[in-house]
Amino acid sequence: MMTTDWIDVGAFDAIPARGARMVRTPQGCIAVFRTATDEVFALDNACPHKKGPLADGIVHGNKVTCPLHNWVISLETGLAQGADEGAVETYPARVENGRILIEAAFLKRQAAE
Amino acid sequence: MDTAVEQATRPFIEVTEIWRPEGDTLVQAGGNYGGLDAFEAISGHTSFKKGEGLPGKAWAEGRPVVLKAFDGSYFKRTEAAKEAGLTAAVAIPVFAGEELKAVLVVLCSDDDIRTGAIELWSEKDGYLMLDDGYYGAAKHFEWVSQHTHFPKGQGLPGGVWASQTPILMRDLGSGYRFIRSESAGKAGLTTGLGLPIARPDGENSVLTLLSARGTPIAHRFEIWDARAAKVGSANSAVMIDGICDREGPLWSEDNPRRISAWQGPIGQVLGSGLPVAQKSAPGLPAGYSDVVGLPIYRGSAIAHIVAWYS
Amino acid sequence: MQKLVVIGAGMASGRMLEHMFEADPQAYEVTLFNAEPRGNYNRIMLSPVLSGEKSYEEIVTHDDAWYADNAVTCRFGERITGIDRDRKVVISEKGETPYDKLVIGTGSAPFIIPCPGHDLPGVVAFRDLEDVDAMKTAAGSDGRAVVIGGGLLGLEAAAALRLQGMEVTVLHLMGHLMERQLDEAAGYLLKKDLEGRGITVLTGASTKAIMGEGRVEKVVLEDGTVIPADIVVMAVGIRPSVALGQAAGLEMGRAIKVDAQMVTSDPDVLAVGECVEFDGNLFGLVAPLYDQARVAAKTLLGEDDVFRMRELSTKLKVTGCDLFSAGDFADGEGREDIVFRDPGRGIYKRLVIEDDVVLGAVFYGDTADSNWYFGLIKDKTDISEMRDTLIFGPAYQGGAQVDPMAAVAALPPDAEICGCNGVCKSTITEAIGAGATDLGSLRATTKASASCGTCTGLVEQLLAVTLGEDFRSKEAGICGCTDLTHEEVRRLIKARELKSQTAVWQELGWKTVDGCHVCRPAINFYLLADWPLEYQDDLQSRFINERKHANIQKDGTFSVMPRMWGGITNPAELRAIADAADKYNVPTVKVTGGQRIDLLGVKSEDLPHIWADLNAAGMVSGHAYSKGLRTVKTCVGTDHCRFGTQDSTGLGIKLEKALWGSWTPHKVKLAVSGCPRNCAEATCKDVGVICVDSGYQIGVAGAAGMDVKETERLADVPTEQEAIDLTIAFVQLYRENAKYLDRPYKWVAKVGLDWVKERVVHDLDNRAALIERFAISQSVYQKDPWAEHAATKTDAYTPLSDFRLEAAE
Repeated sequence: MMTTDWIDVGAFDAIPARGARMVRTPQGCIAVFRTATDEVFALDNACPHKKGPLADGIVHGNKVTCPLHNWVISLETGLAQGADEGAVETYPARVENGRILIEAAFLKRQAAE
Repeated sequence: MDTAVEQATRPFIEVTEIWRPEGDTLVQAGGNYGGLDAFEAISGHTSFKKGEGLPGKAWAEGRPVVLKAFDGSYFKRTEAAKEAGLTAAVAIPVFAGEELKAVLVVLCSDDDIRTGAIELWSEKDGYLMLDDGYYGAAKHFEWVSQHTHFPKGQGLPGGVWASQTPILMRDLGSGYRFIRSESAGKAGLTTGLGLPIARPDGENSVLTLLSARGTPIAHRFEIWDARAAKVGSANSAVMIDGICDREGPLWSEDNPRRISAWQGPIGQVLGSGLPVAQKSAPGLPAGYSDVVGLPIYRGSAIAHIVAWYS
Repeated sequence: MQKLVVIGAGMASGRMLEHMFEADPQAYEVTLFNAEPRGNYNRIMLSPVLSGEKSYEEIVTHDDAWYADNAVTCRFGERITGIDRDRKVVISEKGETPYDKLVIGTGSAPFIIPCPGHDLPGVVAFRDLEDVDAMKTAAGSDGRAVVIGGGLLGLEAAAALRLQGMEVTVLHLMGHLMERQLDEAAGYLLKKDLEGRGITVLTGASTKAIMGEGRVEKVVLEDGTVIPADIVVMAVGIRPSVALGQAAGLEMGRAIKVDAQMVTSDPDVLAVGECVEFDGNLFGLVAPLYDQARVAAKTLLGEDDVFRMRELSTKLKVTGCDLFSAGDFADGEGREDIVFRDPGRGIYKRLVIEDDVVLGAVFYGDTADSNWYFGLIKDKTDISEMRDTLIFGPAYQGGAQVDPMAAVAALPPDAEICGCNGVCKSTITEAIGAGATDLGSLRATTKASASCGTCTGLVEQLLAVTLGEDFRSKEAGICGCTDLTHEEVRRLIKARELKSQTAVWQELGWKTVDGCHVCRPAINFYLLADWPLEYQDDLQSRFINERKHANIQKDGTFSVMPRMWGGITNPAELRAIADAADKYNVPTVKVTGGQRIDLLGVKSEDLPHIWADLNAAGMVSGHAYSKGLRTVKTCVGTDHCRFGTQDSTGLGIKLEKALWGSWTPHKVKLAVSGCPRNCAEATCKDVGVICVDSGYQIGVAGAAGMDVKETERLADVPTEQEAIDLTIAFVQLYRENAKYLDRPYKWVAKVGLDWVKERVVHDLDNRAALIERFAISQSVYQKDPWAEHAATKTDAYTPLSDFRLEAAE
């Protein structure tokens, strides 16, 4: 068993409430979301539909709406909501001392597949 | 706390009576006549049409009415009142929405000693102004009050208006900065009870009862919250404030007193939706024989009940 | 008998003594020191004492008789200056007092913001009776108080001072009141309630300095606002008073560390109350202090007990203000909200649920069942069986549906329902009372909804509310968050003066916590269009192209298009565009149908830089991405064309300069043709001007998209100024009335051209008023977003971090 490593991806204050920012990795981008109640979530940035950038969507409750075709994705599960089917990968994320930490696995995700 | 309870002075309010509508007529439905038997007997044989006499006027106008002299007025029982020594009266109609439930009438007797105040404040241009009030011997305080107005949230009337909740204020005249405190202190006024008045025309009015130490309106005041949104059911009430010359503070943050409908005089107000005024009532707190309980409606439901004991 | 010394006669140590004397009155000979010259009183009831709703005598917990009955030696007003643990004595001004066991209950001290002027006379805290007396002395019927801190204590102080007759302003640093205990919606209702008491509440207010000659005179905020003040109450928080414990060498964290038996690092020294730290936690609310008191009493008596952290609940002691919060109510992974709003009664209830357990609750206006919910939270009760009806409380037995009419029923009688004809709610309900039972008869008697018709839905709802029959509007609601239509929401925003999204969600009974991608952009637009000065535009409620001021392309890159006023450019601008295209590797450069040049395929992080470059060449955003003014297409007009009748290019530039930057329900495109040959294709635009010898023909409501439609003639005017005025008035009328995402031609089809003409052409006062309101809006919104974002918001366009290189190494 590996212990969980957390990686600091940036300051919590750098993301507005009901907003998102992108984190680049060698395997593509991750979107980091902050909700109205200051929870953070990390998901693959590409919408399962046409790879729309989820970090550019509108955040409402614990969901984000893709800016390209209005697919609604749950920030908690990564699953498309409603009639649409599909999912994006999610990564454990948390806030500590004003910094956003994401579980290190996100950097190695494609290598692990 | 138990000083000055057993004074031999006569009470500020001598008579409290309740009138109920039956069709288009108000009939007497109980009261506490304080031993003024002749006046009680005449009242039992009197009735009022809407607009007639003091209770009928309160019904017709849809708000409390203060009457400070009976002679030559619309007051119907002037002779009997005069014989009983009664000189002023305040009628408080109790409306549930547009429906009149009852009219509570209190009658007082002027002399040089008895002070206290029963005031009606109504909104005008965004402020509460004094509509009218009965002050007994507190003439200077009456003058001050006529020249005072309250914005929302300020003072006892403004606080009641803003919160739409009865409020019981302590030590009106001492260190606590009741707006009219200086004059109130000189008049010996100590405890103030403010009530939001439900008017069928939707206008805002606040009634205040200001009690003086020497000639108190009552020795015990209680405020009960009966809103379902606060106490969970339409048939119970919780005491949110109260002060008693014998027991001291009645409120409790941790274990508030709770009653159900028809339990004691407060329960009777809650169950019937009508005010009560009883003399020598059973089941009162130790040392008390008389009680007045008044329901405060918000819309068609009772929101609060206030009570005073002597 | 063993000697017990207690330092501090507070609520925790007082309760501890009660427990101890109850269990064994003979266990200790007690000496009680208190720096305050009095015994124990119920500190959490200080605010009603301040307001006059309680007297000090009523909140005394232990009077002289109690101390005498329990043989407590009271040394009140005597400050302890040191503890000698080796000799087991406490040291005071009057000498030494020995102990076998010592309990420290020194409590906490208010936190004072160290801003300039914090030590001026007139700055008071709100912690003890001295503070209350100081405030009461300062309070006067004409006094002004500023309360810094919109938490529990600050708000209780504010309400109490208001009741005492002061003018009160609350300054709160965060975005909503009591942010630790309440969510945004409940914070909004609380603010509204306090404002209803005449208290001014400023959120997001940062205190810069307190100023005055010799005593407090005013408070100055970071944004320059100056608030006059006779007293300033600091209620921003507390910090444990631990100097004694620290000097005595006890183990410290942020406060005196205790174990679960309330024993410090010295086995003969206990500590209770706000001066202790247990398991990393500090304490400010009374419930855990009473638990500590119970445990400490047991420990002193040699019995076993353990202190545990428990869930806490909050209530605010302001008469008539009913709120409750408990547990953890932040959103989170796997968590689900249940929201109930009843705007008519000002009720908001929210439960947060995870794995069939209630984690947190926030209630406003209806706290009847708060204890029941608090029990569910504390006991972690499985609620799967009652999930559907949970929000309705323990008594719920089916029934009691949320009333979709609540928002309309809650309207005050003087609320204007029909803006066209100035008809208010009471006029309509009176007409219904007088026998009008359908829309037709109401229109005939009151004229309500007889003009533009956008209030038809509201009038129908009033019929339904008043008559109790089902007049439900046939039109669907905006989205799943509300049953109200766009037109109804617009009308209600105006009639009820709703000036924030939180206000709209609560007062109109939104079914979700914070809307969705369908309603949020619409509400954001309605609010900024109706309240340009009061409402703060919310970027997070905008679609990405408006948030990033560039059109998102299907591959996630963006297009950049500078403005070319009236389609006129010059060599310098063209060079700058070419340089930018080279510098940022722009793959496609296109001439658009709107007479400008589009740079397609720009990466998000390059946007601020390319804008800065284009700004430097004098160009601003063309808003080619926005629901706002796009282009004003022109022909060359009299300057060059032999058929031209007027300066069409000049008018086009003037119109573009006047209108740019304004937000509209949908995009707006204009054109000005210099003669009826119409080279600028003005007859299929939202507003199209055709110049003729006698002046200007103004057409509106054309379309050349999915629908193709020729403009309709609004008016013919002789002068250029009138052409500009009519255009602006038309655009403002459209901004104020149209449904979000309706182009002008759709909106005009709904309200009718005559209705528009009446307001824009015939009623000159109204035309002037429209132009004035447009100018007010432009004073806020006519600014180049490129310059602003390139200067201050570049971060938003770059990744939060980049791990490509690190991982490759």
